[in-house]
Amino acid sequence: MSVAAVTRASPIQRVMRGGVFFYVAVLVMLPLVALASSGLSNGLAGVWHAITSPVAADALLLTLWTGALTAVINAVAGTATAWVLVRFRFPGRGLLQALVDLPFAIPTLVTGVMLVLLLGPTRPMGRWFESHGMEILFAPPAIVFALLFITVPFVVRAVEPVLAEMDPAEEEAARTLGASDAAIVRRVILPSLLPAIGVGALQSFARAIAEFGSIVVVSGNIPHKSLTGAIYIFGEVEGGRPDVAAAVSLVLLALSFGLSLGARALRDRVGGRRG
Amino acid sequence: MRPHLLASSPLRARELVEDEPARPRPATLEVDVIPREPMPRLAIEPIDSDPRRRAAWTPARGIVFVAVLLYVGAVLLLPLGALAFEAARLSVAVIVRGITSAAALSALKQTLLLTVVAVVCNGIFGIAAGLVLVRQRFRGIGVLDATIDLVLAVSPVMSGLAFLLLVGRNGWLAPALQALDLRVAFAFPGLVLATLFVTLPFTVREVSYVLAEVGNDEEHVAATLGSSPWRTFFRVTLPNIRRGLTLGLTLTAARALGEFGAVLVIGGAIAGRTDTATTFIYGALEERNDAAAFGLAIVLALVSMGFLITLENVRKKRARS
Amino acid sequence: MSTGRSVAALVSLSLIAAACASGSAEIANGPLTLTVGAYTTPREAYREIIPAFVRDWKQQTGQTITFEESYLGSGAQARAIAGGFEADLAALSLEPDLETLVKAGLVAPDWKASALGGGMVTQSIVVIAVRPGNPKNIKNWDDLRRPGIKVLTPNPRTSGGAMWNLSAIYGAALRGATSAPAGDSAAAESLMRGILANVAIMDKGARESILTFESGVGDAAITYENEVLVSRKAGKLMDYVIPPATILIENPIAVVDGYAERHGATKAAQGFVNFLSTPTAQRLYAEHGLRPVHDSVAAEYRSKFPEVPGLFTIRDIGDWPRVTQVLLAPGGVFERASTRTAATK
Repeated sequence: MSVAAVTRASPIQRVMRGGVFFYVAVLVMLPLVALASSGLSNGLAGVWHAITSPVAADALLLTLWTGALTAVINAVAGTATAWVLVRFRFPGRGLLQALVDLPFAIPTLVTGVMLVLLLGPTRPMGRWFESHGMEILFAPPAIVFALLFITVPFVVRAVEPVLAEMDPAEEEAARTLGASDAAIVRRVILPSLLPAIGVGALQSFARAIAEFGSIVVVSGNIPHKSLTGAIYIFGEVEGGRPDVAAAVSLVLLALSFGLSLGARALRDRVGGRRG
Repeated sequence: MRPHLLASSPLRARELVEDEPARPRPATLEVDVIPREPMPRLAIEPIDSDPRRRAAWTPARGIVFVAVLLYVGAVLLLPLGALAFEAARLSVAVIVRGITSAAALSALKQTLLLTVVAVVCNGIFGIAAGLVLVRQRFRGIGVLDATIDLVLAVSPVMSGLAFLLLVGRNGWLAPALQALDLRVAFAFPGLVLATLFVTLPFTVREVSYVLAEVGNDEEHVAATLGSSPWRTFFRVTLPNIRRGLTLGLTLTAARALGEFGAVLVIGGAIAGRTDTATTFIYGALEERNDAAAFGLAIVLALVSMGFLITLENVRKKRARS
Repeated sequence: MSTGRSVAALVSLSLIAAACASGSAEIANGPLTLTVGAYTTPREAYREIIPAFVRDWKQQTGQTITFEESYLGSGAQARAIAGGFEADLAALSLEPDLETLVKAGLVAPDWKASALGGGMVTQSIVVIAVRPGNPKNIKNWDDLRRPGIKVLTPNPRTSGGAMWNLSAIYGAALRGATSAPAGDSAAAESLMRGILANVAIMDKGARESILTFESGVGDAAITYENEVLVSRKAGKLMDYVIPPATILIENPIAVVDGYAERHGATKAAQGFVNFLSTPTAQRLYAEHGLRPVHDSVAAEYRSKFPEVPGLFTIRDIGDWPRVTQVLLAPGGVFERASTRTAATK
């Protein structure tokens, strides 16, 4: 099937290979190595010291729990959205499809600006929240709101193809045997969907912990309260401590990449099982 | 079931395709191949053809439907609405004056330049890398694949910092840059580096998926009939990956347009020099120049809608074929 | 192969565009670009002063100058310049940030001799911005420690304004103008801790901080007097309180020789610094809320800038090295106050 397995790479192919490698080496590997070098300049002890300093530790914890919450909410809402998109026909379905992709198209800074316009203390919604004693803007809830916006597509797009390809025969069989809707969902549909939901959830988690542009506008950046890891790193860069920033970056990057790898592994299982 | 549709990476897509039983080779020997539509990547339209899969409306399902609409409305539409509301509130004249100031136009120009550079460079790279990942075998191919994936996990501020550590005044490359009298950090070249970094994976991934799907049968046929590699590429490969390429380039452009954290760190948002549309908005908010800030945000949002429409068109065309 | 040629053309065009955008003219007495790295606050003032200088310089020397400006928190700006941002001029909020550039070998150690007022080009004072009518009845630093009062002040790591704010509180306490006994360092620290516990948002710069206050957050914002004046000029409603004792803010400016020499911009940059000390420029500063250092201009604007009985300078409380050490060093007051803040929340 693959011709390349039989023949040796042609000169053109080898030039392309070299060019691609060179590009990636200079543009990606080199800067990341510089980052790693700076972050590890005080050794692993230095990294530990950097991430356990009070402000950094709280920032990383905030990043983790807001990311996890986002992933969980997306798992539910995203699956429901995918189900609606796949199993229903209704006017405006195309619009819903397009809306789901919106976060991929729109700048994160604009997202932040929109949220400030929506929730600012001088705006109707903002005033309503404040009069009820709820702190949304410049507090963790605003962070979660921004993250939910940014990560809408992941679970939906991961679940849709699986749902669409599901053989309705099993569902039919269950229905004819008298199973209720809820039981069918729980026993027949969900088990097949779980890996895909997992993929989407892990991807949204990974994306959420790396977010910067929208959070810097809506969170207030208060140490120990609404300062996330990415913004802490930004602060350390501006505050003249790039080695601390790099150390914390390495940890955050490891987390994010680990989650992506987890999503990849899950995805391969989904693909492989049906291969 | 097309397993490669769910592939997590270009390499995996290729593996899954190769595991499938061999497709019959085309019997025709025509050289000027009629471009074949690549198979749909997201098979989400079958409900039209299969009424069994369509759900009937019941009260419980109705509740779920409404709940989904409310959620999407709250999370996605409310913020958009707030922006539209603000646009209506500020008069058009005020907005136009805000976004046509010299500083705003300069920022827009920078963003436009960066987007073009990103689309061209990472577009070419994406095609080349796609071909390499899907059609070649060599030691280290996994490293290439993983590195491209790694980019997606990097937070914007981190990439800005990484480049600063490389080309800043005390960076690794500082002596060389000084000797060559090249200014990279806090100058346009720095912005280019950051933008190329963050937009790297998009075209590669999309092109790879399509290349894996389409296979290289037609290229093989063209080669045996004496077509040069270049001719084969432009007449056979390129048309086949057209949709994937469009998807990838659109995602690349959208990401370049929206880049903020990395260009802020490496560029410093210097008015007239390294201010991009996004950093300009950020700065305009600080100058209490609401008209310019919101006006430019609206412009960016509208351009994003344009990208979105392109994305949806490509998806729809693929699903139909 | 037209596709290939178009692609090549596009790539070349992009590269040329990139090259053009990054260079700047270096012909002697030909058109010149001066780059200024400033702190966030004097934006509006420089928007007027710079065109005035450009006109003046053109008259005197015939040379056309274009300006590029960058506004960041003072500390952040200093780091940026030290990190490779090739500003010809550094207009920062406080002396230590300029000293950072001296240490980086970019500014001459004798920069203070180069302008009127010993290198300081404007002054201001630290005040407390409050809502119209001062509903929470804030009169002195102690009031900011009251339970339930939401305070705004920027982050001292990036913002010069924040450093001035903390120095004002610390100094006022040390000098006995608050409930803390004079000279009692521990009590001064305790006051600062109490105030920091009430901080609602810590922005990156003084400008961001006052904007947050304008957007409706907080009961009081510790800030520069001129930030309040500029804000009110822009139509925002707020009052301000001058505490019995507060610090005199002195803002330095210097030519960044390290970069200016490379750009051939030293003469023009020095000309700009000189211009800033002239009555014309000083009046423009005053119009935008900054206290002039020029004596006769200061006399003109006496009514706008009230006398402060308990005014002290940084030198009265030990000068910058000591204050920075006490406040910002690892384990210093700010760090301890932030940690305790977390523990009590």
